[in-house]
Amino acid sequence: MSAPLPQFRLAAPRTVTEAVAAYRDHPGSRFIAGGTDLLVNMRRGIGNPTYLVDLSGIDELAEIRITDDGVTIGAGVTIAALAQNDVIVARYRALAQAAAAIAGPGHRTMGTVGGNLCLDTRCIYYNQSEWWRSANAYCLKNRGDSCHVAPQGQRCHAAFCGDVAPALLALGAEIDISGTRGTRRIFLSQLYVEDGKAHLALADGELVTAVHLPPDPPASAYAKIRTRAAIDFPLAGVAVALETSGADIVSLRLALTGTNSRPFLLAGTEAFAGRCIDDKLLNEVDRLVQKQVQPMRTTITSANYRRVAAAALARRLITTLGTAGAA
Amino acid sequence: MTADSGASIRQLRRPVPLIDGVEKVTGRARYTADLDHADALVGRILRSPASHGDIVVLDVSKARALDGVVAVITGDDCAYTYGVLPIAMNEYPLARGRVRYRGEPVAAVAAIDAETAERALGLIELKIAELPAYYTSEDARAPDAILLHDNKPGNVERDVHHQFGEVELGFAAADLVREESFCCAEINHAQIEPHASLAEFDPLTGRLTVQTVSQVGYYLHLMLARCLGMETAQIRVIKPFIGGGFGARVEALNFEIVTALLARAAAGKVFMELSREETFITHRARPHTDIRLKLGMSRTGRMTACELQVVQRGGAYAGYGVITILYAGSLLHGIYDIPAVKYEGYRVYTNLPPCGAMRGHGSVDTRHAFECLVDRMARELGLDPFAVRRANLLHAPTRTANDLMINSYGLAECLDRVERASRWKERIGRMAPGKGLGMACSHYVSGAAKPIHFTGEPHAVVNLKLDFDGGITALTGAADIGQGSSTMVAIAVAETLDISLDRLRVIAADTAITPKDNGAYSSRITFMVGNAAIDAARRLKALLIATAARKLEARPEDVECINEVFRVGNQSTLPFAEVVAAALVDEGAITVKGAFTCPPEAQGGKHRGGAVGSTMGFSYAAQVVEVSVDEVTAQVTVDKVWVALDCGRAINPLAVEGQMQGSVWMGMGQALCEETRYLDGLPAHASMLEYRMPTTMDSPPIETHIVESHDPYGPLGAKEASEGALAGFPPALVNAIANAIGIDLNELPATPDRIMDALIERRRQARLARTLKAAS
Amino acid sequence: MHAPGPEAKKRLLRLRVNGRWREDAVSETALLVDYLREVAHLTGTKTGCDGGECGACTVLVDGEAVPSCITLAVRCEGRSVETIEALATQGRLGRLQRAFHEKLGAQCGFCTPGMIMAAEALLRHNPQPTDDEIRAALSGNLCRCTGYVKIIESVKAATETVHDR
Ligand SMILES: Cc1cc2nc3c(=O)[nH]c(=O)nc-3n(C[C@H](O)[C@H](O)[C@H](O)COP(=O)(O)OP(=O)(O)OC[C@H]3O[C@@H](n4cnc5c(N)ncnc54)[C@H](O)[C@@H]3O)c2cc1C
Ligand code: SF4
Ligand code: FES
Ligand code: FES
Repeated sequence: MSAPLPQFRLAAPRTVTEAVAAYRDHPGSRFIAGGTDLLVNMRRGIGNPTYLVDLSGIDELAEIRITDDGVTIGAGVTIAALAQNDVIVARYRALAQAAAAIAGPGHRTMGTVGGNLCLDTRCIYYNQSEWWRSANAYCLKNRGDSCHVAPQGQRCHAAFCGDVAPALLALGAEIDISGTRGTRRIFLSQLYVEDGKAHLALADGELVTAVHLPPDPPASAYAKIRTRAAIDFPLAGVAVALETSGADIVSLRLALTGTNSRPFLLAGTEAFAGRCIDDKLLNEVDRLVQKQVQPMRTTITSANYRRVAAAALARRLITTLGTAGAA
Repeated sequence: MTADSGASIRQLRRPVPLIDGVEKVTGRARYTADLDHADALVGRILRSPASHGDIVVLDVSKARALDGVVAVITGDDCAYTYGVLPIAMNEYPLARGRVRYRGEPVAAVAAIDAETAERALGLIELKIAELPAYYTSEDARAPDAILLHDNKPGNVERDVHHQFGEVELGFAAADLVREESFCCAEINHAQIEPHASLAEFDPLTGRLTVQTVSQVGYYLHLMLARCLGMETAQIRVIKPFIGGGFGARVEALNFEIVTALLARAAAGKVFMELSREETFITHRARPHTDIRLKLGMSRTGRMTACELQVVQRGGAYAGYGVITILYAGSLLHGIYDIPAVKYEGYRVYTNLPPCGAMRGHGSVDTRHAFECLVDRMARELGLDPFAVRRANLLHAPTRTANDLMINSYGLAECLDRVERASRWKERIGRMAPGKGLGMACSHYVSGAAKPIHFTGEPHAVVNLKLDFDGGITALTGAADIGQGSSTMVAIAVAETLDISLDRLRVIAADTAITPKDNGAYSSRITFMVGNAAIDAARRLKALLIATAARKLEARPEDVECINEVFRVGNQSTLPFAEVVAAALVDEGAITVKGAFTCPPEAQGGKHRGGAVGSTMGFSYAAQVVEVSVDEVTAQVTVDKVWVALDCGRAINPLAVEGQMQGSVWMGMGQALCEETRYLDGLPAHASMLEYRMPTTMDSPPIETHIVESHDPYGPLGAKEASEGALAGFPPALVNAIANAIGIDLNELPATPDRIMDALIERRRQARLARTLKAAS
Repeated sequence: MHAPGPEAKKRLLRLRVNGRWREDAVSETALLVDYLREVAHLTGTKTGCDGGECGACTVLVDGEAVPSCITLAVRCEGRSVETIEALATQGRLGRLQRAFHEKLGAQCGFCTPGMIMAAEALLRHNPQPTDDEIRAALSGNLCRCTGYVKIIESVKAATETVHDR
C-alpha cells in the first residue's frame, strides 16, 4: 500500500463559477487538474491541502476552439489532446512539439494545459520525500529558512520546467484568468515571476481558464535537452517563432524554460528584424541566451551545461527554421 | 565428466517460454507485496537523518504508547551483527550507539495500519551528536579522518596487493606504455520491484516464517537465526515471485531482519513494504570507483604488462566489499593472455549507504578502463581494435597467471561474429560526421568455484520426485528472480530423460521444502544447479532403465529412452507411464538427489586471493556499439549494438538472448545516464525520475549472436549467459564516442554535461595551441 | 483500540472494474492503485515507484492507459477501469499476453502488467503500429530486465495474430 496521503476532501464542480466558489468557501484549498504534478508532490508531503477542487469535470475548460480570431485552448485540455490536434500540429508546431515532449504517454493523457502552465517549480532539494527534506532542515521554498542552492541569497531559485509555456510565449499567447473578483485577460508572460517560491502572479483562488493564440502564426519549433529521451523534465527548453521575408527576419521570438524560476521571452530579439540569419546573428543570440538564463544548482546536471545547451538549442532552432523558411 | 547426453533433442536449443510465464503475463504471479497481508501489522522504519554520529537520545516511549502500535524496536533489541561474509559482519539491523550513513535504520514500528505506523515514527525522539562525515574515498583516507570502524585504520576496509609475473620487465619490453585514470560513478540495481518482506512469528510454536524478495534464502535464513538468536530449524524462508534482483538481494538486507524482529516483538505477522527511496538507500550496488591503469604493449599489439590500482568508495559497512575489491583485480585475468599483472586495490569506508554486489560484480569498472586504454593504445600504434584483441587471445584449456582454470574459450569466434555482423571492416573510418563505432570484450564467471560459506557441502543439490502421476517435481533452492532458472532446471531434467517438459514442475527456494542452495549470484545457477539437476535426472533415468530392462527382459545397457518411450533397438517398446508404474511397485514414490561440486583444481591456486575469480567456466563476449553524437548539445544516441556471447551452449536460446540483451542494456544505463549522487550524504537520485535508467526511446536494437564453445564441464556444455556481456558495453560506447568526435572520456556515465565539458576543454586547448603558435 | 485518525472520509464509489460494476466505500484520498490492490484484490497491477515515475501501475481508464498511482480512486466514479486481470478471457490468454509469454517479453514479470496495459491501449487505437510508435507508447514504462528488445518484438507479434480479443 502506498504511504497515506494527507486527509483532504474533494469537490467536483461542473462550472468555473462553482470551482471558484468551492475554493473560496474552503480555506486550505488547491485546484487539481490532471494531478500529475500535484499528487506527486503531495505524496512526498509537499503542500498539505485540506480541500481539492477538481477541475477535470468542467466541460467548458476542455475545449479547443478554432476561429478566425485564432485558437482558444481550454485550461482543462489534456496534453495528449493538444499534441494530437491537427491544427496545432500543422500551424502551431512549437506547441505540438512541446506537448509531445512532456513526461510519458500516461502523464500526457491525464495532464492538462492549465496544470502545465501552473506547474510547481523544481529543485533537487525540494522534489524529495518528507524524510529527506526534514533531514536537510527543509529549505526556503517549503518550511525552512535557508536555501541550499544559494545559501547567501534570500530567494528560491527552483526552476520552472513546464514545456508548454515557452512555446506559448514564443507564439504570443494570452490567458484568461477567473477568480472571485471576476475574470481578466493578460499576456502569458505576465503570469510569471522570477521567484521559485512564488512564481505565479495569481491571486489566491484564481485559476487559468483558457489560452488564446493569435491566428496566422509564424513558423515555430520547440526543443528540449534532457538526459534521457522520455519521462524527463527539460534541463533547458527553447521555443522559437520566426517570421521571415526572403532571407530577412521579420520577427524573431524566443522563449526558454528549465533554466530560471519562470519561463521567459528572450529580451532584445526585436533588434534582429531586418537582419539575415548568419553566424554573426547566431553568435549574438547565443550571447543573449547565455546572459539571460540563470541556471542554478537545482539539478544533478551542472548549471553551466544547461546554460550552454540552451544557447546551442537556440542557434539550432533558428538555423533550422531559417533554412526551412528560405526553402 | 562431459555432460552432453546425446539424447534425441526435444527442447534443447529450441526457444522455450518461461515455465512460470503464464502467471507473469496474466497478473496472477504473486510477488511479496501481493501476498495476503490483510491480517498483518504494518512495519515502518525510522531512519537516521545524520550521516555520522552517536545516538545520544532514542526515546520510543511515546510511540509505544500510541493506540494501534503493537511493537517498537531499536538497536537494543538485537545485539548481533549480520553480513554476507563470515569474516566481515559489522552491521546491525538497527543501529546501536552510532549511525554511519543517512538513512541507516535506527528504530522500527509495527502498527495496525500505515497511518498509525507513520504517526508512531513521528513520536520517536532521536538525538544524534554528529561526527565529521566523509563522502569521498579521498576524504575518508585523509590522515586526520576519524575511523568509521575502529579496527580499520585509514578507513580502508581491505587492501589487496597481488602480483603475477615480472611487471617491470614487461613494461621494459613494451614498445608503448600508457597510463590513465578513470572514474566510474556509483550506480544502483534499480530492479522495478521495491523491497518488501512479510514475516510471521507464531509465539505458540516459536516458529518464524519469512516471505521476502531474497535472491539467496539460505543466507537470510542464517542471518535470521543469528540476529534473532533462534534455532535455524525454527525458521522457514520462502521466495515468492521476485521482480528482479541483479545482486541487490543477495545479501540478507536490514529490512528483512527488522521485519522478522518486529514480527517476534509483536508476536504476529508484519508486512513491510519499502518506498522506492528506501529501496535506493538499502543500496548494495556498484561502488564509485577510481582507477589508475598502466599497460605495456608491443608494436604488434601484444600486451606485455599491466598495473592496476582500484579505489572503491564502499559506503559505511562491509557488505560484500572484500569480494568486490578482490574481483576487481582477479577478473583482469581470464580473458587475455597477459604475462605480468600487478594489482593494488583499496576498499574504503565512507558515510554513505553500503555498496555490494551488482550484475558483473567487481569486473565492470576494471574492464571499462582496460578496454578503453587498449583501444587508445591501438590507435596510437595504428592497429585495428579487433586485431589488438586477437593478438592476445588465450587458448583453452589453460590456466591464467593467477592460476584460474579455463576449459572453453569462444572469444575468437565472438570477435569474428560481431566484426562481420556490424560490417566493421567496411565501415570503420568511413562513418559520417558525428557517427562512430566502438568495440570491446568482456567475460564473467559461471559461479565462484569456492563458495563464500564454506561448509564442505556440494555446491548445489537438486531433488527430483517421481510419483504415480508420471509427473516429476524438481526441488531446488535456487531462486528464480526473473532470469528463468527454474525453466533451465526443467529443461535440463526433461532433456536428460528425453521426456516432455509438461511432466516437469519446479519448486524453488523454500527452505522447508527445497534443498539448500547458495542462491542466485555470480551466475552460478545454470552451471552448478544445472549440473546437479542433470545428475539427479541421470540417477532417475538409471532407475527407470533398470525397471524397463526387467520388463523388457533385456540388459539395461541395451535400453534407451527416446521421446518418452523405452526401447531395445527397434523391437520391444514400453511407454514412459508403464515404466513409471512398474518402478513404483514396492518402492512407492521415487525421490532421487543430484549434486554438483567444483573439483579442487577448479577452486583456484595457492597464492593469496587465488580462490577469487576461480570458476568452472568463463563466459566471453564481444560487442560493437554504433553511436551518434550531437556536438551541439553533446547528447549521445546509441543507434545499434551487435553482441556475441560464448555461453558454452544455449540450453534455451530464447532465455540466452533475453539475458544478453538485458545485460548489454544494463551496461548501457551505466555508460550513458545512470548514477547515484549524494548531497551531503542524502541521495539525490532516490527516485525513478532522478535515477535515469534508459526508456524505450533511449534503447537501441540489440542484435545477439550466440557462440557455443561446449564447455567440457558445463551442464550440456553450458556456461553463464547473464552477466558476461554487460562489462563490454561502457568501453565500447566510450570507444565509439572517441571514434565519432575524437574525445576520449575518462569518466562514466557519458552524460551530455560531461561530454560538453570535454568539448569545451578541447576548444580551449585548441585556442591555447593557436595562441602559442602565433606567439612563437 | 485505535483512535481514529483525523476524520477519515469515505464515500461510495461506483465504477466498472474489468467489465463489472462495483460499489465500495472508499476514502477520498485513496489512490486507484491501492483501491485495485487492497479493496478489489486485483494485485496484478504493480507499484514500482513513489509516484508517477515508472509505469508499473498502468491501467486503462475508459480505454486510456494511465498511471493508477497518481489517480485518485474517487475520480473514476462512473468510469470503466481495466487491469491485466481482464485480458485473459474464456480460458485464453489475450493476444499481448500470449505474445509476451512466447517471445519472452516478460523476464521477472514485474513491469509486465503495466507494459501490457500500455500496449493494449496502443493497439486499440492503432492496430498496426510501427516500431517507433510502439516505443513511443511504452516510453512511460520502465523495465529493468529485458532492454525492451523482446518487449517491442512481443507487441509486434501481437499485432500479427488474428484478432481474438
Ligand atoms: C515522472 C514525471 C515526468 C514529468 N515530465 C514532465 C515534462 O517533461 N515536462 C513537463 O512540462 N511536465 C512534466 N511533468 C509534470 C506534469 O505531468 C505535466 O506538467 C502536466 O501537464 C501537469 O498538468 P496537470 O493537469 O496534471 O497538473 P496538476 O498536477 O493537476 O496541477 C499542477 C499545479 O497547477 C495547478 N493548477 C492546475 N490547473 C490549474 C488552473 N487551471 N489554474 C490554476 N492553477 C492550476 C495545481 O493547483 C497545481 O499546483 C512530469 C511529471 C512526472 C510525474
Ligand atoms: S532553490 Fe533553494 S529554496 Fe528553492 S527549492 Fe531549491 S533549495 Fe529550496
Ligand atoms: S507505480 Fe510507478 S508510475 Fe505508478
Ligand atoms: S521484466 Fe523485469 S522489469 Fe520488466
